[in-house]
Amino acid sequence: MKSKSYIGTHITLIAVAFLMLVPIYWVVKTSLTGENIFAYPPAMLPVDPHPFFYVDAWYFIPFSRFFLNSVIVATMAIIANLIINALAGYALTKAFPGKRWVILLLLSSMMIPFHATIIPAYLITRDLGLLNTHLGLALPAFSHIVLIFVFKASFDAIPPSLIDAARIDGLSEWRIIYKIMLPLSLPAIATNIILSFIWSWNDFLWPLLIVRDVEMHTLPLGLSAFLSYFESTTGSLYAFAVMVLAPGMLVFILAQRQFVRSMTSGATKG
Amino acid sequence: MLKTVLLNRATIVLGTLAVAIIVWNIYIAGNDDGILVGTVVDVSGQPVTDAKVVASELSLISRNVIDIQTTDETGQFRFDRHDHHAMVLQATKDGVGNSRRVEVRLYYQNQNKTLSDALVLDPDVKQGPLVSEQSGSN
Repeated sequence: MKSKSYIGTHITLIAVAFLMLVPIYWVVKTSLTGENIFAYPPAMLPVDPHPFFYVDAWYFIPFSRFFLNSVIVATMAIIANLIINALAGYALTKAFPGKRWVILLLLSSMMIPFHATIIPAYLITRDLGLLNTHLGLALPAFSHIVLIFVFKASFDAIPPSLIDAARIDGLSEWRIIYKIMLPLSLPAIATNIILSFIWSWNDFLWPLLIVRDVEMHTLPLGLSAFLSYFESTTGSLYAFAVMVLAPGMLVFILAQRQFVRSMTSGATKG
Repeated sequence: MLKTVLLNRATIVLGTLAVAIIVWNIYIAGNDDGILVGTVVDVSGQPVTDAKVVASELSLISRNVIDIQTTDETGQFRFDRHDHHAMVLQATKDGVGNSRRVEVRLYYQNQNKTLSDALVLDPDVKQGPLVSEQSGSN
């Protein structure tokens, strides 16, 4: 009985994984063959694959410029998230007047979608003179409330006696965060890096609003412009899509161990 | 500490990617003269002299003529500094015929390439609309 459920579970997981991977496989296959996506019956295996659609995507659009813009914005977002979220998470581990209301305010703010605040965000960015700039692109992504709570949860798991011992040794609060809290919170750091990178890398709506020049386009914006200019270019379009997705997937694969550890770190407490 | 950083899989993967990119760019720098060489033959396989070969741009929205060259006594043609990564070639000669349009796909702009298959002039092949009697616009 036990082995039957074991096999059944694995078969179910393999089937679900297959369903999840089919779209990715289809995009990669079409990027190598350029076949008509409406062809029937569809070819399951690539016929006459070649990499030249990737060459087309590289040269038909300023891919390197768009890539650089996305890298700059994502880097700024990651660094800002690490600093701001770590400091905010550490503050939330302390007892202070109104802490409960602050947490309530943060949690309730998470329920407000970005689309509802996009007009004031645009007006503030304009008044700061940051329209059409890398800083303006990255500014709304400088901190995410959910990532603050990821740090908070990680810092709460550190024994208070360790912090007390550090204070007795004369460490300031800044050095306690830098020397003790952060080194013991590597899964939380990895989670912050992965999610802030993915969210800023794939962001489309905010760049669409504030970018004015083609030179400042990020990759998702460039992809939509590519689609609108060249409608019947399936191979090049899918190749561009793969080139946009690849860095995010690479970052996740490299840091997934830490990411999963962070997600499950509280699961077996007590 | 240094060993831990160097043996980290992120360092290995990203370092390998960086090395591959550098090596590829070094290779490109040494092979980007834009030389495209090929041969024109007739249906019997004999090289054709003074055949006109038209190179047209192969892009998503245009087929502009890039350059026009003439084959030499051995039937060879040569384009220099073509500055494109995808082209369409077609050869023609009065009294002999026209070749089919051949797509030439390269891995990067200005890649040096020698075509492995010759352009075959066939009297039954119609001249394509992109072949112009005027000089190339390169």
